[in-house]
Amino acid sequence: MSIAEPAPVTAPWVGRLTPGTRAALITLIAGAVTLLLAPYLPWITIWPDAWTLPATQWVDTGLGLVLNLIKPAARWFSWLMEFPMTWANFALVSTPWPLVIGVVTALGWYLGGASMAALGFLGLIFVLASGYWVESMNTLALVAVSVPLAVLTGGAIGILANEVPRVKSAVQAVLDIMQTVPTFAYLTPLLLLFGFGPVVGLIASAIYAAPPMARNVILGLERVEPEIKEAAMMSGGNRLQQLFLVEIPTARLQIMVGVNQCLMAALSMVIIAAVIGGFNDIGWEVLLTMRKAQFGQALLAGLVIVVFAVVIDRMSATLATDRRRFDARVTYGILGATVIVTALSLGFLPDPATLTLLDPVADSVDSSLGDFTAANGAALNTIKNGAMFYGLLPLRIGLDEAVLPFTWGFSWTPAMSAGLFAAAALIGAVMALRGNVVGGLVVLIGAGILETGVAQMPWPFVLIAVAALGWVASGWRLAVISVLLLSTILISGLWERALLSLYLSGAAVFACAVVGGAIGLLCAVSPLAWKIMRPISDMLQTIPLFVFLIPVLMFFQIGEFSAFLAICAYAIVPMIRYTRHGLVTTPDELIEAATSSGATEWQIMRDVRAPYAAPTILLGLNQTILYAFAMLVIAALIGTTGLGQSIYLALGQADVGLGVSSGAAMAILALVADRLVQGFAEERRKALGL
Amino acid sequence: MATPAPAAIECRNLWQVFGPDAESQLSAAMEQAGGDPDVAAGNLKEKGYIPAVRDANFEVMPGELFVIMGLSGSGKSTLIRCISHLLGATSGEIRIEGEDIVSASKKRLIELRRKKLGMVFQHFGLFPHMSVADNVGFPLKVQGVSRKERRQRAMEVISLVGLEGREDAFPRELSGGQRQRVGIARSLAVNPDIWFLDEPFSALDPLIRRQLQDEFLNIQATLKKSIVFITHDITEALKLADRIAIMRDGKIVQIGTPAEIVLNPADDYVREFSRDVAKGQHACVDSVMRPLDQKPDNMPDDPGLRPGMTLDAALAACMQCYEPVPVHDENGVLTGIVHPADLVAALQVETK
Ligand SMILES: Nc1ncnc2c1ncn2[C@@H]1O[C@H](COP(=O)(O)OP(=O)(O)OP(=O)(O)O)[C@@H](O)[C@H]1O
Ligand SMILES: [Mg+2]
Repeated sequence: MSIAEPAPVTAPWVGRLTPGTRAALITLIAGAVTLLLAPYLPWITIWPDAWTLPATQWVDTGLGLVLNLIKPAARWFSWLMEFPMTWANFALVSTPWPLVIGVVTALGWYLGGASMAALGFLGLIFVLASGYWVESMNTLALVAVSVPLAVLTGGAIGILANEVPRVKSAVQAVLDIMQTVPTFAYLTPLLLLFGFGPVVGLIASAIYAAPPMARNVILGLERVEPEIKEAAMMSGGNRLQQLFLVEIPTARLQIMVGVNQCLMAALSMVIIAAVIGGFNDIGWEVLLTMRKAQFGQALLAGLVIVVFAVVIDRMSATLATDRRRFDARVTYGILGATVIVTALSLGFLPDPATLTLLDPVADSVDSSLGDFTAANGAALNTIKNGAMFYGLLPLRIGLDEAVLPFTWGFSWTPAMSAGLFAAAALIGAVMALRGNVVGGLVVLIGAGILETGVAQMPWPFVLIAVAALGWVASGWRLAVISVLLLSTILISGLWERALLSLYLSGAAVFACAVVGGAIGLLCAVSPLAWKIMRPISDMLQTIPLFVFLIPVLMFFQIGEFSAFLAICAYAIVPMIRYTRHGLVTTPDELIEAATSSGATEWQIMRDVRAPYAAPTILLGLNQTILYAFAMLVIAALIGTTGLGQSIYLALGQADVGLGVSSGAAMAILALVADRLVQGFAEERRKALGL
Repeated sequence: MATPAPAAIECRNLWQVFGPDAESQLSAAMEQAGGDPDVAAGNLKEKGYIPAVRDANFEVMPGELFVIMGLSGSGKSTLIRCISHLLGATSGEIRIEGEDIVSASKKRLIELRRKKLGMVFQHFGLFPHMSVADNVGFPLKVQGVSRKERRQRAMEVISLVGLEGREDAFPRELSGGQRQRVGIARSLAVNPDIWFLDEPFSALDPLIRRQLQDEFLNIQATLKKSIVFITHDITEALKLADRIAIMRDGKIVQIGTPAEIVLNPADDYVREFSRDVAKGQHACVDSVMRPLDQKPDNMPDDPGLRPGMTLDAALAACMQCYEPVPVHDENGVLTGIVHPADLVAALQVETK
């Protein structure tokens, strides 16, 4: 035959590569090319200002117009909200404290018996003794008004989504996005709308707390057994009767989970909103004492917040269980005793604001902290500097810039770069030869990133890498969407800051994945370890974000390392939980099959439990990523660079454009990371046939 | 044959197809198939649609106990949900006591459910947050009946199903059998004329099931409702039914009395169902009886057969007979004759 066969479009060996290998290869090539070209084409690393669209200003003017339009309505609403707030405030602050304590104790008994009553009683006694009674009641007043607001709007949104199937997916998408937009980012536009004052905190916390409510209402209504819905229909109920007499009561446990989450979110946000200031609440107190470096007092105020969080969480959590009924007579007994005690002591009650029973403790914490840092300052500094110079900094700006004679004792030479790449190539080659081609390529890519630093990765490389990841994780659609979303960050000139945020959260997530994974593994094999870790995890997840800052500040002062630690402390919990859960819940018959084939405990862990747990662990990683992003912004208070800092700055300058676009950029990062990891989890689940 | 009163339920060319835009797909498929439902259903299936009920035609007479039987996934529940309009049928006619309910308004449907229809669910469908009495009284509550009256009526039906004393218990505190009694009581609270039961006893263990079946027959003997009863258990169907419809892949393959189903199965699928059934206990003499005009001149034996006798009993009586024997009704009037050979043949359908 003289006519040549049409040549295949790709070389024959490309067809044999798995998608993972192909993606890794493309990424590697992109990395190598950009690395080589970077010295000659500066725009590869730094997006030129000339190409930047003034998106931040557009957002500013656009939003400004809109905000100004609805400002009168907002101000009116703000005025309206003043009333319930003043009432709640008045009621809580001017009610004699024994009455408040008694009512909370009685409520505790009603909800959960003796243990809850004790929790409520002791918790509030602690608050009283701390001298932060008035501040606490101010905070509580905000929560008391914002939660009903959030429960009602969240519930209404949930019901709407349930009733009108067409809007359901849209509502869920909006809820997803709201979950990823950092809390501080809400505050700036709200400030402009509602003016300075506690109403902003109120609205912000209602906005922040409504989504979990809506989500749980949707979930609960969805999960009502179809037969129960049909039974209501066949009983001849109209839609309203079906909904309110049958479906909502049937879904009440799930809805109560929503109320619990709503309460916790509102509390957390009310405390965060204290950064706006102007309201004498407990969050403000923490901030103030922290700024004055009175860590004893800050810790005390922080503990008051923790006490509130724990009491509110545990009490409201009982609503979400089929709880036992406790003897109502005891409830009335407690209430009666409270009234009597209050009436008798009315004249002689000490003013709670003057109580300083715990101040000596705070002072001694302060002085012993002073002693401790004086004695161990060198050691603490070594830890901090070690982590900074040998861990965080190289990750951020790359070995080529971070390795300096001043810290490492030598400077980084091109020969060392060559050595690094050669070593990576060797390891990669060995891995590839042993069958793990993707792993080998990833090692090489990792070496490249380490050389340049996360914050200085060339943008074409990042985009190509994300596209490749998206493609492997779930397909073209995700790849295209991720690239488009990230491009908006790029062209709006926030790229550098975004990479800084990515670096810090990435470092924290990595640390959490390694340490949390290890702890999770430990908890999976040792019930004792879990017994210890479980209450710690519960506690870490209950504490409002803000409080994490206090202990790290006490020991490591303001700076990136402190921020890193705070992020890790908060974000590690899901990793521990999910890892353990995934490893523990492997079906028994799989384990039995492996055991009967003679596998050792360790082999079962590696070959049966771990692969089976992979999707669950990936979901844990996903949560960890979202937690890390959430905390990143809060950590801006104690010194981070990047988007978090921009959001915080924008708040101070009431710069809506910067605040909102930085918030959006954060949300985009979180969203892309979320979808990528979810994609991988889904892929693993499918591969396991789950 | 003309019936004076309209059928309690009447279905004509009823289809339920699951999938997006099923209605136009169905009419297109029907057109393409030239009106042959089997071909149309095949086409729809190929396109990924689920024809869960195809071209169902039947009617249920007032006071009749109509059983729908079929394997899991054959479309029984879907059919009953179409009739009770929990699902909107894709096409076809449904009449309840002559009234077209496909085009009925929402308001009318609610009214029908409040007055005429009752339904019992396979997994009971009890409201977990209501006591037994509240569950049973719920259909009255939605009609705005006063609390006192509700309680009174609830207690009546609760004692009808034998649950006196448990009226203030919650569903989670009851056994499976008790829960289904609550389900039955609730469906009877408004005293409906038409009663749907979707595998009401399937989730229960055999002893309780038999007990509830007996009680169910007792209730029906006094209330005389028009009933559509779903089951996948042939013994249950034979025990309860006036007539049985057998479904397969959404199609009704045979409708007949228990004896017809057992003795003259329309195809292998139906035969499979009745394989393990002791036919002699379910079919009666009248199913093998020949008319009087085939009467031979001389019938030497008279073992005393009656039309309503089961075949087993008849065979036992005819052990020594080889010639045709007479059949007399209760008044002793000669109504037909039976060839003993026919008896034996009828009982051996399954072994061929
Ligand atoms: N809402 C729905 N959407 C899509 N397909 C459905 C839906 N409901 C039922 N089906 C399908 O219709 C077919 C008939 O289901 P149906 O529940 O009527 O079966 P059944 O005879 O009641 O079975 P069982 O004895 O298991 O209850 C099945 O293939 C089922 O998967
Ligand atoms: Mg069914």
